Amino acid sequence: MRFQLAALSLRRHASRTLLAVLGVAVSAAMLLDMVMLATGMRQSFASLLGRNGFTIRVSPRGTLPFDTEATIGQARDAAVAIERIAGVTAVAPVLGTTIHVLGAANPVTAFALGVDPAVQGDYQLLQGQHPTANTLVASDALLHATGASVGDTLDVAVGFDPQLRTYTGRRRVVVSGRARFTYLSADDRAAALQLASVQAMGGADRTDRVSLFMVRTAPNVDPEAARVAIERALPRVTALSTAGAVAEAEHRLSYFRQLAFILGAVSLIVGFLLVTTIVTVSVNERIGEIAIMRAIGVSRAHVVHQIVIEGIGLSLAGAASGLILGVFTAKWLNSILRGFPGLPDAIDFFLFEPNSAFRALALLVASGIAAGIYPAWRAASLPISGTLREEAVG
Amino acid sequence: MPSPAWAQRIDSIPPWSAAVRTIAIDERLAADAGLHVGDMVVLVAEPGRTSGDTVRISAIVQRRADPSEVARSEYRIRMHLGQLQDIIGYGDRVDRYAIATAGGAAADSALRRVNAGAFGFHAYPSREIAVETSKTFAVVSRFHRAIGMITIVASATFLLCIMLLKVDERRRDVAAMRLMGISRATVIRTVMLESSFVALLGSVFGVGLGFVVSAFVNAHYQAVYRTPLRFAIITTGTVTYSVLLSLVLGIGAGALAARRLARTPPLTLFGR
Amino acid sequence: MSGQPLLVVRDAHRDYPRSGEPVHAVRGVSLDVAQGEYVAIVGPSGCGKSTLLNLLGAIDRPTSGSVSIGGSAVSTLPDKAATRFRLTHIGFVFQRFYLLPVLTAQENVELPMAEAKVPLAERRDRARELLGYVGLEARADHRPAELSGGEQQRVAIARALANRPIVLLADEPTGELDARTGSDVIALFDRLNRDGMTIIVVTHDEKLAGAARRVIHMLDGRVIRDEPLLRRA
Repeated sequence: MRFQLAALSLRRHASRTLLAVLGVAVSAAMLLDMVMLATGMRQSFASLLGRNGFTIRVSPRGTLPFDTEATIGQARDAAVAIERIAGVTAVAPVLGTTIHVLGAANPVTAFALGVDPAVQGDYQLLQGQHPTANTLVASDALLHATGASVGDTLDVAVGFDPQLRTYTGRRRVVVSGRARFTYLSADDRAAALQLASVQAMGGADRTDRVSLFMVRTAPNVDPEAARVAIERALPRVTALSTAGAVAEAEHRLSYFRQLAFILGAVSLIVGFLLVTTIVTVSVNERIGEIAIMRAIGVSRAHVVHQIVIEGIGLSLAGAASGLILGVFTAKWLNSILRGFPGLPDAIDFFLFEPNSAFRALALLVASGIAAGIYPAWRAASLPISGTLREEAVG
Repeated sequence: MPSPAWAQRIDSIPPWSAAVRTIAIDERLAADAGLHVGDMVVLVAEPGRTSGDTVRISAIVQRRADPSEVARSEYRIRMHLGQLQDIIGYGDRVDRYAIATAGGAAADSALRRVNAGAFGFHAYPSREIAVETSKTFAVVSRFHRAIGMITIVASATFLLCIMLLKVDERRRDVAAMRLMGISRATVIRTVMLESSFVALLGSVFGVGLGFVVSAFVNAHYQAVYRTPLRFAIITTGTVTYSVLLSLVLGIGAGALAARRLARTPPLTLFGR
Repeated sequence: MSGQPLLVVRDAHRDYPRSGEPVHAVRGVSLDVAQGEYVAIVGPSGCGKSTLLNLLGAIDRPTSGSVSIGGSAVSTLPDKAATRFRLTHIGFVFQRFYLLPVLTAQENVELPMAEAKVPLAERRDRARELLGYVGLEARADHRPAELSGGEQQRVAIARALANRPIVLLADEPTGELDARTGSDVIALFDRLNRDGMTIIVVTHDEKLAGAARRVIHMLDGRVIRDEPLLRRA
């Protein structure tokens, strides 16, 4: 009968109950979104970096991968030194440069990666073949900009000198395939060529140089140990494990994590306050009824039970609605943040992780329970005769 | 400049020479490397090289309040152009020129003349560069606005709920007033006056809280990112917008609640 | 009627602290009520009769003195035990009915039985039976707002009888009713007493007081007169 009474009490003031549920739903949605934001960046970024099994990135000392135009010299020797380290199973060299596709009225500029197709982890081939000495694979954005397709020949160049209007290297290449570039956004114009091709076209400045090594370690090897060994073997580089890279990214984006924590805490408090207020007012309106129930022999605990059930009902309904609302608002907020220039397509800021999400909503429901206990206990503990007398006079 | 120049602190300080060149380092580098004004360091173009240019630190400079530099952890060194060109073997080259002009019209004219006459490069107004490099902050700004909208919706719902509850609590008083002959309009005005007062008081309190919180936010993130950049700025426009919005929401919620109460027959309010 | 009194009050006092002088609502009241008696407690407003009824019903505790019902010293029971006692031994009828507005008449009568963990089928049957006893079986599915004052009070009486109490206490049961509906309630009390129920009513209503077998007069918290009423068999 307690559940029945609780449900009827909530239905008695339907519009008020509905507003309260809506308020709790918005709080729940905000809480869920902030949990998704707090976990999303980390998981999304870690998943991106760990793709293809590369656990360590090696870049010029003091820099992060592609943070500057710095390169690692004596790249061949460096690769050999890294391969010799225990636990290292593959070393993928990458050289980044700007490439110009000539021939049209205005050259089309793109970002190019020189890779070893046998061990590369920078792109996923969608169509065609991996690049060879005189071929490249291109992103859809580059193909669209140049009006080219797989099989076409392009006139490409690197090392543009704006004063002399010359290039350090130029050659005709065939588009051998279409690719999705893992660490770039879908709008980026990008191409991948063989490392040797890019180095050759880059002239003396690029000979035997790379921007970055991606290192794969064996599953049972601690990447941190390998990372330390790499830095010891090559003092002119900085090695960053996936965990380290995630931590660095988190530091740079710590604002969002802190915002998530603050807004999440505020949402929880607001939800708690709302349920407390609703229950308190509802109880105050029914002081006489509560006194009667006590007078006819309903125990204090059962009175509290019934009122707490009302609080739980509000919180559960709000949490359930908030879950749906939160997923939609997270999609919207994620679409805004994905507008960051140069953000890889695979990165999401808001990621739904069921465990975290349900834990957060359970916390909200628990706060709803706590919110109902005090006003209920207070009302059930009022002196019966005095309350009845006041209610009669009132 | 493309390549970082590396600074190595030298243990033995060579005798002071008038030919020793000087550099300025940023406060972050000074703090992290334990460097001071007067210290001698060796600059090399690549790590691992042992010979380079011995220089003296002549100044420690504060980082610029540049949003684009906030999340970047690299150190900054300032030196004479020729010195850096020598160290990194760049030759007689620069990455860009910054041009100061005497006012807007002069800037447009200079821009046209440079682009018409210069060979191999292009001039842009600083504003265009700022817009281009601000795309990240435009995204952050849109995100903040979205969060703001959600917060406003949540606050409005909460406010309406609370107003309905508070007004409902006094329905017997209102019933007695109505039975005495006091008009609906008076009842509505009374409730709205109260809600307006609460909204105004809340706005004032909220603005004060906003100032306190923004001071805290600036202090916190300036420490985290080690930058003089101000992250939160409260402008007259912000205050005006916030106050107006809270007044509209508070008074609106009061009006809705009051109308609901005034429309209910007095005997129903008494529970008969 | 058995020889042992059902209800025994000895030197009961109830004081309420106020700033300055405490209010002595009940001052040294002693009385016995035998099983099957029908007692009316009368007196002017503020004489302490409702307070005395609350002491008898274990709703309130005396400041000093004792109250026992059916051999149980209710004045010393802790709250939980007193609550349980009220549920299973005492039926209470109030001036303002105090039915729960969200429940139907039947559900209001079932409420004390649900608390006493009476199985669903049994309590439904008993609720119907009690509503039939008070003449409202046809209104079982109506909510209090759909019932007249007299009907609500009869539902309240049915509720008070739900757990087969040993005594029925009523505080101004006809206070909110017109003369005709008040008469219906008085007739119902009369019938209950003839069926063996011990009844104690507090009332201003002369007709209700006249229907009782014994009248206790109170003034300023004291019993000033306690007399049987000579009436028809």
